[in-house]
Amino acid sequence: MRLVLTIAFVVGLGACSNTAEPVATQTVCPSPPPDLTWENFGQQFMASYCTDCHASTLTHAMRNGAPLFHDYDTLHGVLSIPDHIDKYAGAGPAAVNTLMPPSRCPSTPGGPLDRDCPEPSEAERTNLALFIACQTGN
Amino acid sequence: MYELHQRQELNGVVGRRSKVNRRIGAAALLGSWTLATGVAKADHDMAMSESHDESSAVSVGVAVQAAEFDTMAYVGSYQSVTPSLGWMHGRYGASALLGLYHLDENGLSRYGMGDVMLGGHATVIERDAIEGGVAVHVMLPTGSALDNLGMGHTMAMPALWAAWHGEQLAARASAGYARALTSIDGGHDHGPSPLVDPMNLQELTWSAGADLDLGHRVRVGGRALGGIPIGAGHTRVIGGARVSWGTPRVSTAVELQAGLAGDPFTVRGVVETALRF
Repeated sequence: MRLVLTIAFVVGLGACSNTAEPVATQTVCPSPPPDLTWENFGQQFMASYCTDCHASTLTHAMRNGAPLFHDYDTLHGVLSIPDHIDKYAGAGPAAVNTLMPPSRCPSTPGGPLDRDCPEPSEAERTNLALFIACQTGN
Repeated sequence: MYELHQRQELNGVVGRRSKVNRRIGAAALLGSWTLATGVAKADHDMAMSESHDESSAVSVGVAVQAAEFDTMAYVGSYQSVTPSLGWMHGRYGASALLGLYHLDENGLSRYGMGDVMLGGHATVIERDAIEGGVAVHVMLPTGSALDNLGMGHTMAMPALWAAWHGEQLAARASAGYARALTSIDGGHDHGPSPLVDPMNLQELTWSAGADLDLGHRVRVGGRALGGIPIGAGHTRVIGGARVSWGTPRVSTAVELQAGLAGDPFTVRGVVETALRF
Protein backbone atom coordinates (compact mmCIF):
# COMPACT_ATOMS: atom_id res chain seq x y z
CA MET A 1 0.00 0.00 0.00
CA ARG A 2 2.85 2.35 0.90
CA LEU A 3 4.46 1.66 -2.47
CA VAL A 4 1.21 2.43 -4.30
CA LEU A 5 0.88 5.74 -2.45
CA THR A 6 4.46 6.62 -3.26
CA ILE A 7 3.98 5.90 -6.95
CA ALA A 8 0.74 7.89 -6.98
CA PHE A 9 2.54 10.84 -5.36
CA VAL A 10 5.34 10.72 -7.91
CA VAL A 11 2.96 10.53 -10.85
CA GLY A 12 0.89 13.31 -9.34
CA LEU A 13 3.90 15.58 -9.04
CA GLY A 14 4.63 15.05 -12.69
CA ALA A 15 1.06 15.83 -13.63
CA CYS A 16 1.20 19.13 -11.73
CA SER A 17 3.99 20.52 -13.85
CA ASN A 18 3.62 23.24 -16.43
CA THR A 19 1.51 21.74 -19.21
CA ALA A 20 1.88 24.58 -21.72
CA GLU A 21 4.03 23.23 -24.49
CA PRO A 22 4.83 24.43 -27.99
CA VAL A 23 2.89 22.36 -30.53
CA ALA A 24 3.15 22.39 -34.32
CA THR A 25 -0.08 23.77 -35.78
CA GLN A 26 0.11 21.40 -38.79
CA THR A 27 -0.95 24.28 -41.00
CA VAL A 28 -0.77 23.60 -44.76
CA CYS A 29 -0.61 26.37 -47.33
CA PRO A 30 -3.90 26.21 -49.27
CA SER A 31 -4.27 26.51 -53.02
CA PRO A 32 -4.58 29.20 -54.09
CA PRO A 33 -2.40 30.65 -51.33
CA PRO A 34 -3.69 33.56 -49.25
CA ASP A 35 -2.41 37.05 -49.93
CA LEU A 36 -0.08 37.12 -46.95
CA THR A 37 3.33 38.58 -47.71
CA TRP A 38 6.17 39.96 -45.59
CA GLU A 39 5.24 43.45 -46.71
CA ASN A 40 1.49 43.31 -46.11
CA PHE A 41 1.42 41.00 -43.05
CA GLY A 42 4.61 39.48 -41.66
CA GLN A 43 6.60 42.61 -41.03
CA GLN A 44 3.70 44.37 -39.29
CA PHE A 45 2.87 41.31 -37.18
CA MET A 46 6.46 41.01 -35.99
CA ALA A 47 6.76 44.72 -35.30
CA SER A 48 3.53 44.71 -33.30
CA TYR A 49 4.21 41.65 -31.17
CA CYS A 50 7.81 40.44 -31.38
CA THR A 51 10.66 42.79 -32.26
CA ASP A 52 10.75 44.72 -29.01
CA CYS A 53 12.78 41.71 -27.84
CA HIS A 54 13.43 39.59 -30.96
CA ALA A 55 15.49 42.00 -33.03
CA SER A 56 18.96 41.69 -34.46
CA THR A 57 19.79 45.15 -33.14
CA LEU A 58 19.35 44.07 -29.51
CA THR A 59 22.37 42.76 -27.65
CA HIS A 60 22.37 40.20 -24.85
CA ALA A 61 21.15 42.17 -21.88
CA MET A 62 18.64 44.13 -23.99
CA ARG A 63 16.72 41.07 -25.19
CA ASN A 64 14.66 40.50 -22.04
CA GLY A 65 15.25 36.77 -22.28
CA ALA A 66 14.79 36.32 -26.02
CA PRO A 67 17.26 33.71 -27.29
CA LEU A 68 20.13 34.88 -29.45
CA PHE A 69 19.63 34.47 -33.20
CA HIS A 70 15.85 34.49 -32.79
CA ASP A 71 15.46 37.79 -34.63
CA TYR A 72 12.29 38.61 -36.49
CA ASP A 73 13.03 42.04 -37.88
CA THR A 74 13.77 40.54 -41.29
CA LEU A 75 12.06 37.90 -43.40
CA HIS A 76 15.33 35.98 -43.41
CA GLY A 77 15.30 35.90 -39.61
CA VAL A 78 11.74 34.62 -39.54
CA LEU A 79 12.37 31.93 -42.11
CA SER A 80 15.49 30.71 -40.32
CA ILE A 81 13.30 29.21 -37.56
CA PRO A 82 9.76 29.00 -38.97
CA ASP A 83 8.78 25.89 -37.00
CA HIS A 84 9.74 27.58 -33.75
CA ILE A 85 7.54 30.60 -34.46
CA ASP A 86 4.65 28.34 -35.50
CA LYS A 87 4.91 26.37 -32.26
CA TYR A 88 5.03 29.41 -30.00
CA ALA A 89 2.62 31.85 -31.65
CA GLY A 90 0.74 30.21 -34.52
CA ALA A 91 -2.78 28.84 -34.67
CA GLY A 92 -3.95 26.03 -36.93
CA PRO A 93 -5.71 22.69 -37.15
CA ALA A 94 -3.62 21.04 -34.44
CA ALA A 95 -3.04 23.84 -31.95
CA VAL A 96 -3.60 27.43 -30.93
CA ASN A 97 -0.26 28.44 -29.45
CA THR A 98 -0.25 31.42 -27.12
CA LEU A 99 3.14 31.00 -25.47
CA MET A 100 4.32 34.16 -27.20
CA PRO A 101 4.16 37.03 -26.72
CA PRO A 102 4.68 36.77 -22.95
CA SER A 103 2.70 38.69 -20.34
CA ARG A 104 5.10 41.62 -19.95
CA CYS A 105 6.85 43.65 -22.64
CA PRO A 106 9.09 46.71 -22.88
CA SER A 107 7.66 50.03 -23.99
CA THR A 108 10.78 50.59 -26.05
CA PRO A 109 12.91 47.89 -27.69
CA GLY A 110 15.43 46.65 -25.17
CA GLY A 111 13.87 48.56 -22.30
CA PRO A 112 12.45 47.32 -19.00
CA LEU A 113 9.31 45.16 -18.93
CA ASP A 114 6.97 47.98 -18.01
CA ARG A 115 3.72 47.19 -19.81
CA ASP A 116 1.38 44.31 -20.62
CA CYS A 117 2.16 42.78 -23.98
CA PRO A 118 -0.36 43.29 -26.77
CA GLU A 119 -1.91 39.95 -27.74
CA PRO A 120 -2.58 38.94 -31.33
CA SER A 121 -6.08 37.73 -32.05
CA GLU A 122 -6.64 34.10 -32.96
CA ALA A 123 -7.26 35.22 -36.55
CA GLU A 124 -3.87 36.92 -36.58
CA ARG A 125 -2.25 33.78 -35.16
CA THR A 126 -3.96 31.73 -37.86
CA ASN A 127 -2.64 34.09 -40.51
CA LEU A 128 0.82 33.83 -38.99
CA ALA A 129 0.78 30.06 -39.32
CA LEU A 130 -0.53 30.37 -42.90
CA PHE A 131 2.14 32.96 -43.73
CA ILE A 132 4.87 30.66 -42.43
CA ALA A 133 3.46 27.58 -44.16
CA CYS A 134 3.24 29.37 -47.52
CA GLN A 135 6.62 31.06 -47.20
CA THR A 136 8.27 27.72 -46.45
CA GLY A 137 6.36 25.77 -49.08
CA ASN A 138 4.45 23.54 -46.67
CA MET B 1 21.78 15.17 -3.05
CA TYR B 2 25.23 16.19 -3.70
CA GLU B 3 25.21 17.77 -0.41
CA LEU B 4 24.26 14.56 1.17
CA HIS B 5 26.90 12.72 -0.62
CA GLN B 6 29.32 15.29 0.21
CA ARG B 7 28.45 15.09 3.74
CA GLN B 8 28.97 11.45 3.74
CA GLU B 9 32.14 11.95 1.98
CA LEU B 10 33.26 14.21 4.67
CA ASN B 11 32.08 11.81 7.24
CA GLY B 12 34.16 9.23 5.58
CA VAL B 13 37.14 11.47 5.81
CA VAL B 14 36.78 11.86 9.45
CA GLY B 15 36.04 8.34 10.35
CA ARG B 16 38.30 6.59 8.01
CA ARG B 17 39.45 4.01 10.49
CA SER B 18 36.17 2.22 10.68
CA LYS B 19 34.92 0.17 7.80
CA VAL B 20 31.62 1.91 7.67
CA ASN B 21 33.13 5.31 7.72
CA ARG B 22 35.64 4.33 5.12
CA ARG B 23 32.80 3.38 2.84
CA ILE B 24 31.13 6.62 3.48
CA GLY B 25 34.34 8.36 2.67
CA ALA B 26 34.54 6.54 -0.58
CA ALA B 27 31.11 7.68 -1.38
CA ALA B 28 32.31 11.05 -0.63
CA LEU B 29 34.77 10.85 -3.34
CA LEU B 30 32.57 11.44 -6.13
CA GLY B 31 29.73 12.42 -4.22
CA SER B 32 28.44 15.66 -3.89
CA TRP B 33 29.77 18.11 -6.00
CA THR B 34 27.80 19.08 -8.71
CA LEU B 35 24.56 19.86 -8.88
CA ALA B 36 23.12 18.33 -11.24
CA THR B 37 23.60 16.68 -14.31
CA GLY B 38 22.34 13.19 -14.28
CA VAL B 39 25.59 11.52 -13.58
CA ALA B 40 26.27 13.73 -10.68
CA LYS B 41 22.90 13.05 -9.30
CA ALA B 42 23.46 9.38 -9.60
CA ASP B 43 26.75 9.74 -7.85
CA HIS B 44 25.16 11.36 -4.95
CA ASP B 45 22.90 8.52 -4.32
CA MET B 46 25.60 6.07 -4.88
CA ALA B 47 27.63 7.82 -2.34
CA MET B 48 24.88 7.54 0.12
CA SER B 49 24.56 3.89 -0.48
CA GLU B 50 27.96 3.24 0.86
CA SER B 51 27.06 3.47 4.45
CA HIS B 52 26.28 -0.16 4.99
CA ASP B 53 25.92 -0.67 8.63
CA GLU B 54 22.52 -2.06 9.48
CA SER B 55 21.30 1.02 11.25
CA SER B 56 19.24 3.69 9.57
CA ALA B 57 20.45 7.22 9.04
CA VAL B 58 18.76 10.36 7.90
CA SER B 59 20.62 13.30 6.48
CA VAL B 60 19.67 16.83 5.55
CA GLY B 61 21.75 19.23 3.57
CA VAL B 62 21.81 22.39 1.57
CA ALA B 63 23.91 23.52 -1.36
CA VAL B 64 24.38 27.04 -2.61
CA GLN B 65 25.73 27.53 -6.08
CA ALA B 66 26.50 30.34 -8.48
CA ALA B 67 27.24 29.87 -12.17
CA GLU B 68 27.80 31.79 -15.36
CA PHE B 69 26.86 30.45 -18.79
CA ASP B 70 27.40 31.43 -22.40
CA THR B 71 25.54 29.09 -24.74
CA MET B 72 24.56 29.35 -28.39
CA ALA B 73 21.33 31.15 -27.45
CA TYR B 74 21.77 32.56 -23.96
CA VAL B 75 24.27 34.52 -21.92
CA GLY B 76 23.73 34.98 -18.21
CA SER B 77 24.10 33.55 -14.77
CA TYR B 78 22.17 31.74 -12.08
CA GLN B 79 22.26 31.21 -8.36
CA SER B 80 20.50 28.51 -6.42
CA VAL B 81 19.75 27.08 -3.03
CA THR B 82 19.15 23.34 -3.04
CA PRO B 83 17.89 21.62 0.10
CA SER B 84 18.18 17.86 0.17
CA LEU B 85 17.02 14.93 2.26
CA GLY B 86 18.49 11.44 2.40
CA TRP B 87 17.83 8.15 4.09
CA MET B 88 20.02 5.08 4.35
CA HIS B 89 19.54 1.63 5.78
CA GLY B 90 22.22 -0.97 5.28
CA ARG B 91 22.78 -1.43 1.58
CA TYR B 92 19.84 0.67 0.55
CA GLY B 93 19.13 4.33 0.43
CA ALA B 94 16.93 7.04 -0.99
CA SER B 95 17.25 10.73 -1.50
CA ALA B 96 15.38 13.79 -2.69
CA LEU B 97 16.37 17.32 -3.63
CA LEU B 98 14.90 20.42 -5.15
CA GLY B 99 16.77 23.45 -6.45
CA LEU B 100 15.38 26.97 -6.05
CA TYR B 101 16.85 29.31 -8.65
CA HIS B 102 17.40 32.88 -9.64
CA LEU B 103 18.17 32.88 -13.36
CA ASP B 104 19.34 35.78 -15.47
CA GLU B 105 19.13 34.92 -19.19
CA ASN B 106 19.79 37.53 -21.85
CA GLY B 107 18.83 40.30 -19.48
CA LEU B 108 15.66 38.71 -18.10
CA SER B 109 15.61 37.90 -14.39
CA ARG B 110 13.49 34.99 -13.18
CA TYR B 111 12.92 33.14 -9.93
CA GLY B 112 11.59 29.60 -9.76
CA MET B 113 12.03 26.01 -8.72
CA GLY B 114 13.87 23.44 -10.75
CA ASP B 115 13.01 19.81 -11.28
CA VAL B 116 12.56 17.57 -8.25
CA MET B 117 15.07 14.73 -8.12
CA LEU B 118 14.20 11.47 -6.38
CA GLY B 119 16.65 8.61 -6.13
CA GLY B 120 17.07 5.11 -4.84
CA HIS B 121 20.26 3.09 -4.65
CA ALA B 122 21.65 -0.23 -3.47
CA THR B 123 25.10 -1.67 -2.93
CA VAL B 124 25.30 -5.00 -4.73
CA ILE B 125 28.99 -5.91 -4.44
CA GLU B 126 30.94 -5.35 -1.24
CA ARG B 127 34.51 -6.57 -0.84
CA ASP B 128 37.42 -5.23 1.17
CA ALA B 129 38.37 -2.21 -0.83
CA ILE B 130 35.89 -2.47 -3.66
CA GLU B 131 32.22 -1.79 -3.82
CA GLY B 132 29.67 -1.57 -6.58
CA GLY B 133 25.99 -1.02 -6.96
CA VAL B 134 23.03 0.33 -8.83
CA ALA B 135 21.08 3.54 -8.61
CA VAL B 136 17.91 4.84 -10.19
CA HIS B 137 16.93 8.47 -10.27
CA VAL B 138 13.72 10.02 -11.45
CA MET B 139 13.52 13.71 -12.19
CA LEU B 140 10.03 15.21 -12.12
CA PRO B 141 9.21 18.22 -14.29
CA THR B 142 8.40 20.69 -11.55
CA GLY B 143 10.63 23.32 -13.16
CA SER B 144 9.34 25.34 -16.09
CA ALA B 145 10.92 24.26 -19.35
CA LEU B 146 9.78 27.49 -21.00
CA ASP B 147 11.65 29.44 -18.34
CA ASN B 148 14.75 27.25 -18.75
CA LEU B 149 14.41 25.95 -15.21
CA GLY B 150 13.39 22.37 -15.99
CA MET B 151 13.52 19.61 -18.56
CA GLY B 152 9.79 19.73 -19.21
CA HIS B 153 9.56 15.93 -19.05
CA THR B 154 9.97 13.24 -16.46
CA MET B 155 13.46 11.79 -16.74
CA ALA B 156 14.49 8.27 -15.71
CA MET B 157 18.17 7.68 -15.00
CA PRO B 158 19.41 4.20 -14.04
CA ALA B 159 23.15 3.83 -13.41
CA LEU B 160 25.88 1.48 -12.23
CA TRP B 161 28.71 2.58 -9.95
CA ALA B 162 31.92 1.22 -8.51
CA ALA B 163 34.33 2.52 -5.89
CA TRP B 164 37.78 1.65 -4.61
CA HIS B 165 39.11 2.79 -1.26
CA GLY B 166 42.77 2.80 -0.28
CA GLU B 167 44.31 4.05 2.92
CA GLN B 168 44.37 7.65 1.81
CA LEU B 169 43.28 7.59 -1.79
CA ALA B 170 39.88 6.67 -3.09
CA ALA B 171 38.48 6.47 -6.59
CA ARG B 172 35.06 6.07 -8.09
CA ALA B 173 33.33 5.78 -11.43
CA SER B 174 29.81 5.46 -12.73
CA ALA B 175 28.00 4.87 -15.98
CA GLY B 176 24.34 5.21 -16.70
CA TYR B 177 21.55 5.97 -19.09
CA ALA B 178 19.08 8.82 -18.99
CA ARG B 179 15.94 9.22 -21.00
CA ALA B 180 12.98 11.54 -21.06
CA LEU B 181 9.72 9.66 -20.66
CA THR B 182 8.25 11.28 -23.75
CA SER B 183 8.66 11.18 -27.50
CA ILE B 184 12.21 12.13 -28.43
CA ASP B 185 11.73 14.11 -31.58
CA GLY B 186 14.45 16.67 -31.03
CA GLY B 187 12.85 19.79 -32.39
CA HIS B 188 14.30 23.28 -32.49
CA ASP B 189 17.72 23.41 -30.87
CA HIS B 190 18.33 26.18 -28.33
CA GLY B 191 21.51 24.53 -27.18
CA PRO B 192 21.87 22.88 -23.78
CA SER B 193 18.59 22.79 -21.89
CA PRO B 194 17.55 23.66 -19.28
CA LEU B 195 20.07 26.38 -18.57
CA VAL B 196 20.31 25.54 -14.89
CA ASP B 197 21.41 21.93 -15.36
CA PRO B 198 21.24 20.75 -18.93
CA MET B 199 20.70 17.18 -20.07
CA ASN B 200 19.89 15.57 -23.39
CA LEU B 201 16.52 13.91 -23.91
CA GLN B 202 18.39 10.62 -24.19
CA GLU B 203 22.00 10.15 -23.22
CA LEU B 204 24.67 7.98 -21.68
CA THR B 205 25.98 9.43 -18.45
CA TRP B 206 29.40 8.90 -16.90
CA SER B 207 31.63 10.11 -14.13
CA ALA B 208 35.09 9.36 -12.74
CA GLY B 209 36.99 10.91 -9.89
CA ALA B 210 39.32 10.51 -6.96
CA ASP B 211 40.15 12.20 -3.71
CA LEU B 212 42.93 12.22 -1.19
CA ASP B 213 42.78 12.29 2.58
CA LEU B 214 45.11 15.05 3.80
CA GLY B 215 44.46 14.36 7.45
CA HIS B 216 42.81 16.65 9.98
CA ARG B 217 39.48 15.72 8.41
CA VAL B 218 40.33 17.43 5.17
CA ARG B 219 40.12 15.87 1.73
CA VAL B 220 40.92 17.24 -1.68
CA GLY B 221 39.72 15.73 -4.93
CA GLY B 222 38.90 16.14 -8.55
CA ARG B 223 36.61 14.56 -11.03
CA ALA B 224 35.00 14.72 -14.42
CA LEU B 225 31.49 13.85 -15.46
CA GLY B 226 29.27 14.27 -18.43
CA GLY B 227 26.72 13.03 -20.89
CA ILE B 228 26.91 11.62 -24.40
CA PRO B 229 23.73 12.18 -26.41
CA ILE B 230 21.97 9.31 -28.12
CA GLY B 231 20.65 10.88 -31.27
CA ALA B 232 20.50 14.65 -31.44
CA GLY B 233 22.03 16.61 -28.59
CA HIS B 234 25.17 17.97 -27.07
CA THR B 235 28.07 16.11 -25.53
CA ARG B 236 28.64 17.53 -22.08
CA VAL B 237 31.79 17.40 -19.96
CA ILE B 238 32.24 19.00 -16.56
CA GLY B 239 35.44 19.07 -14.55
CA GLY B 240 35.77 20.06 -10.92
CA ALA B 241 38.04 20.32 -7.91
CA ARG B 242 36.95 20.39 -4.33
CA VAL B 243 38.05 20.66 -0.76
CA SER B 244 35.95 19.14 1.96
CA TRP B 245 35.98 18.93 5.71
CA GLY B 246 33.81 16.86 7.93
CA THR B 247 33.05 15.06 11.13
CA PRO B 248 30.88 11.96 11.39
CA ARG B 249 27.82 14.20 11.67
CA VAL B 250 28.59 17.41 9.84
CA SER B 251 30.35 18.01 6.59
CA THR B 252 31.06 21.02 4.45
CA ALA B 253 32.68 21.34 1.05
CA VAL B 254 33.64 23.95 -1.46
CA GLU B 255 33.91 23.08 -5.11
CA LEU B 256 34.86 24.89 -8.28
CA GLN B 257 33.62 23.49 -11.58
CA ALA B 258 34.25 24.28 -15.21
CA GLY B 259 32.16 23.38 -18.23
CA LEU B 260 34.68 21.73 -20.53
CA ALA B 261 32.35 20.78 -23.38
CA GLY B 262 28.73 21.25 -24.33
CA ASP B 263 28.23 24.61 -22.59
CA PRO B 264 26.62 23.36 -19.37
CA PHE B 265 28.10 26.55 -17.85
CA THR B 266 31.41 28.34 -18.07
CA VAL B 267 32.25 28.27 -14.38
CA ARG B 268 30.27 27.27 -11.30
CA GLY B 269 30.99 27.46 -7.60
CA VAL B 270 29.29 25.26 -5.04
CA VAL B 271 29.27 25.42 -1.26
CA GLU B 272 27.44 22.65 0.52
CA THR B 273 26.95 21.47 4.01
CA ALA B 274 25.07 18.57 5.48
CA LEU B 275 24.07 17.04 8.74
CA ARG B 276 23.61 13.35 9.42
CA PHE B 277 21.46 11.85 12.14
